[in-house]
Amino acid sequence: MQFLLIIYSDEGLQDQAVMQEITAAHMRLGAELQESGAMVGGNRLRPSDTATTIRTTGGVQSLHDGPYAETREQLGGYYLVEAPDLDAAVAWGKKIPGGPNYAIEVRPIWPLG
Amino acid sequence: MQAERILAETVREAGDRIRAALAMRFRDLDMAEEAFAFASLRAVETWSRDGPPRDPAAWLYAVGRRRAFDLGRRATVRADAVHDAPEPEPDPETILMAAFEPIPDERLRLIFVCCHPALAPEARIALTLRTLYGLSVERIARAWLTSEVAMLQRLTRAKRKIRDAGIRFEIPGPDAWPERLDAVLATLEIAYAQAYEDAAGAGDAADLAAETLRLSGLLVELAPAEPEVLGLAALIRLTEARRPARLDETGAMMPLSEQDMGLWDRRLIGEAMALLRRAAELGRSGPYQLMAAIHGVHATRLETGFTAWTHVVALYDALLAVRPSPIAAVNRAVALAEAQGPDAGLAALSAIEGPERLAAWLPYQAARAGLFAKASRGAEAAEALRAALALHPAPAERLFLERRLAALAQ
Repeated sequence: MQFLLIIYSDEGLQDQAVMQEITAAHMRLGAELQESGAMVGGNRLRPSDTATTIRTTGGVQSLHDGPYAETREQLGGYYLVEAPDLDAAVAWGKKIPGGPNYAIEVRPIWPLG
Repeated sequence: MQAERILAETVREAGDRIRAALAMRFRDLDMAEEAFAFASLRAVETWSRDGPPRDPAAWLYAVGRRRAFDLGRRATVRADAVHDAPEPEPDPETILMAAFEPIPDERLRLIFVCCHPALAPEARIALTLRTLYGLSVERIARAWLTSEVAMLQRLTRAKRKIRDAGIRFEIPGPDAWPERLDAVLATLEIAYAQAYEDAAGAGDAADLAAETLRLSGLLVELAPAEPEVLGLAALIRLTEARRPARLDETGAMMPLSEQDMGLWDRRLIGEAMALLRRAAELGRSGPYQLMAAIHGVHATRLETGFTAWTHVVALYDALLAVRPSPIAAVNRAVALAEAQGPDAGLAALSAIEGPERLAAWLPYQAARAGLFAKASRGAEAAEALRAALALHPAPAERLFLERRLAALAQ
């Protein structure tokens, strides 16, 4: 089954050197995922101040500047992986780099059909 | 009448095994529950009419399995369910005549599923007690002081997560094993702590304590080479052994040092000590073994008449090194006071980090009161006792603290 591994981290905190190190770790993880056949997809997102939210209220749509939720940690990217079960998906999630404080949410994909 | 008696006996002896086998076979906890309930109902009808079968447990399993197949045909069965060739269509009564397949022992797998660390801790033990032992939702809710509706929702959410989130019905592999085993042990520890909370332990909590004791014993049977499994089973037995001595005749809490040792359960203590020795032979220490060893030193008073307090302090030091906790630090200070005098204990107590938060913590104030009293510092002892009483102690502990306060005033 497929799992979305969603990365939440504080985008304001990281300095250049730390960022480079984390980026390199992402490259290594990406290669490892490819090699094992678990990689389905994944992307880094631009910072949350580039986000636009389309909100529908009572059937009326309106645009808002900013992410859906203002939180201490922001949605910064994701991996979509193929894994036999939650334990395997969590094992991949634990390998995602991100400095000393961050969170990875593991969500099973609802298969179509 | 006889059918009901045989059913009750069979469920007591083999119910957990049958439930686990059904759950694993169909990879669906709800379906297993329903199938087992159906089989039990049919058992009473059929056995009263035709007499009990040769092997009642196998009968229940076979009829439950049949029922689950029927249920599965209606619902979409999980993709990883075991698909046998569709069975012929005999009614349940004829199945009992067929050759029974032995009931596979799937209890460990079921425990690992129910105690997955991705489930909320409070949901894990409820799920285990419900699916493995068939405890009613109402009974579990009572033990957790929550409403039946709330507990049912919690269980339903947990079962849905197991079904949809990719929690696999397998024993975890070596990579995940330590974390998964920790979750199982922590679940049992929480369940037992819950039962222990109420010192009176006369009603539902005592019930839950007995189930947790049983579950810890089952885990020893299923994972005998895991020293921490043995350690936790020993810990629960040693604590449970003292339950009859925990309250005096007025319902007030009795501190360990003043308990009537004649009331301690020697059989449980013996079992626990044997478990601890087996664990030690496996040569991998851990927090549960250390906690059990501390209780073991106290239990040894039964034989020797005294408590080796320096030994207790050393064990708390080891425990704090692998699993630091404020309660262990407080208990260490109390043990130190016994070994080296109240001043050493008080010094250790004030050296515990975060005194601002500790001040609003009942075990801390109770320990302070005890050590001040021991040091003949009555005014400070009374102040600590009043602080403890302001922190909403349970009835048994309140009685104990009030009596201490009254004794100081004299």
